[in-house]
Amino acid sequence: MQIRTEVNDGKGVLTLDGRFDFNSHRDFRAASDKLLEDAAVKEVEINFSRVEYLDSSALGMLLLLREKVDGAGKKVVLSGLKGTVKQVLDIANFSKLFAMRD
Amino acid sequence: MTDSPALKILVADDTPANVMVIQAVASRLGHAVVAAGDGREAVRLYQEARPDLVFMDIMMPDMDGLAAVRDIRGLPADRWVPVVFVSALDRMEDVVRGLESGGDDYLVKPVDLRLLRAKINGYAHTLALQRKVRDYAAELEGWREQAEEQVRLGAHVMARLTDTAGLRDPMLRHFNQPADNFSGDLLCAARAPGDVLYLMLADAAGHGLPAALSAMPLTQVFHGMTAKGFSLASIAAELNRKLKGLMPADRFVAATLAAVDVRNQTVEVWNGGNPDAVFLDDAGGVAMRWPSRHPPLGILAESDFSGETQSARVQAAGDLLICSDGLLEAESPHGDRLSLEGVVDGLARAPLERRFQRLVDGLETHLDGGAAHDDVSFMLVRVPLERRQSVRMPVAAQVSLEALSEWRLDVSYGPAELRYLDVVPAALGVLGQIRPVQAHQGALFLVLSELFNNALDHGLLQLDSAVKEGLGGFELYLQQRAERLATLTAGRVDLGFHVHEVRGEAVLDISVRDSGQGFDFTSYGEGAAGEGDARPHGRGIALVRNLCRELIYEGCGNQVRARYVLA
Repeated sequence: MQIRTEVNDGKGVLTLDGRFDFNSHRDFRAASDKLLEDAAVKEVEINFSRVEYLDSSALGMLLLLREKVDGAGKKVVLSGLKGTVKQVLDIANFSKLFAMRD
Repeated sequence: MTDSPALKILVADDTPANVMVIQAVASRLGHAVVAAGDGREAVRLYQEARPDLVFMDIMMPDMDGLAAVRDIRGLPADRWVPVVFVSALDRMEDVVRGLESGGDDYLVKPVDLRLLRAKINGYAHTLALQRKVRDYAAELEGWREQAEEQVRLGAHVMARLTDTAGLRDPMLRHFNQPADNFSGDLLCAARAPGDVLYLMLADAAGHGLPAALSAMPLTQVFHGMTAKGFSLASIAAELNRKLKGLMPADRFVAATLAAVDVRNQTVEVWNGGNPDAVFLDDAGGVAMRWPSRHPPLGILAESDFSGETQSARVQAAGDLLICSDGLLEAESPHGDRLSLEGVVDGLARAPLERRFQRLVDGLETHLDGGAAHDDVSFMLVRVPLERRQSVRMPVAAQVSLEALSEWRLDVSYGPAELRYLDVVPAALGVLGQIRPVQAHQGALFLVLSELFNNALDHGLLQLDSAVKEGLGGFELYLQQRAERLATLTAGRVDLGFHVHEVRGEAVLDISVRDSGQGFDFTSYGEGAAGEGDARPHGRGIALVRNLCRELIYEGCGNQVRARYVLA
């Protein structure tokens, strides 16, 4: 999975591209940690529009991120949800845990 | 100079001056030298000193260098030790002979010191790499052995935890195929008091040992609380609390909990993160389905967790299917997946008694010899249509009257407790510790549940049983119940228990009183709700009458006394 990072106006966006699974662990953590350490970033957006697959360890990574974001006093938003990715997040009822936008 | 570690170098030469030349170069490079004066001594020192590198003269007394190297190469070897011939013999056939006898290199005397230095450095570098590779291999082997031991232990514990008698329930067929050495999918089944079949299919994130570790704490909670008759909502909340406390934030367990109550013809489900549970009736129609309504277990804090279940009344006999997403994500060799609709469709087409086997066969055909990448598990529960009111009760052991002493307990519950407490199992938890009562807990659970629920539902919440009649009535009733309970501000339910002896018999008197307006109990009398009466709301009391010596309504119908014979 490729991760592109953009920071704009207090918002950090991670655009994920490819299969979001166990193998993405290190890259995802590195990219998200960097945004969390950036004091200028108030909101972290994870863009899923290019993610073709998501497994349970990816859900685990999102939960870890959620915990860290809370600890850092920032916000996290999931975006670009569609197809099987949306399905997986729906079954896990992640809308009860994360803010989501189109 | 390289960063390679110091070598031990064996130098064999019958001319001490030659030895000293090599020794001088080697020690300046930081290596140690062991010297031999002939071939035989060289072979002996090779075994004793275990050198890393050998410089060998060819023409020596007693045993020449070629013979010594052949002997050395004939010794058992656990590592590669390079041998460099150093000889005045400089014809090509001498060099070839040296290499053929087991040498790795050949230097012609007199040896150029710069060349000698470069050779030693080169071998030191290669030997350091070799040592590193050997260390890695040994470390890897150690890890492998440790991992195998962990897997063996994990598989053993998991097998013990999962192979419980409850899974051999005649109503249940189950399937669990691990993707790894053992499954992170956990299946549990047990009968609650009152013969209700409780089921759990838990799918821990990932697979293998980490997944199984997350699933393990669930079994004891499930079995312990089921045996005591706690509600699905209470069990789900406790499972969540336990996992949340034990596991790191990225570990969670998708779970489906179900309670199949044949006597009352209801199926209740809590689904957090698993595929829909589906009730397929005998005609092949999907009569009910329970999609995931909650996040998986182990994520939410206790205060955010919801144990809310969805219940439905069984209108026709059928099968309840509960599966993990491993079933739907199992890929065929062509990359196709099964859909829930496809699975249900396949079940619907199979003859009733072949449904389970059809699903097992269908999965095998789908995988076509390949392996699923996730654990695959499912349960199929046969739910008959039944109007029987008697309950199978184990025969209680006899209680000796000598051991009996009088015992009394009175408890009173207000709106707050009624909202969050599982009153019946909580009260029975105390009552059940009284020895003469222990063997009767199953029957007493039924009696107390019936009396307490009547007091709460009809007395305090003023629900009308008639609502249950008709299609969707049961669900509507439950909805009203939940709403009214949530907004209840006043009222109490009092429970009284009295164990004592009456005319040579040990009895338990149970009294239940609510602060409601009571009801016309004459319509619930023996005549109105006898054995065989099919009305759901009357059958419970008929059952209580069957189990108790006497049942008396008092007051305005807001108070009931039941006498249960213990011995």
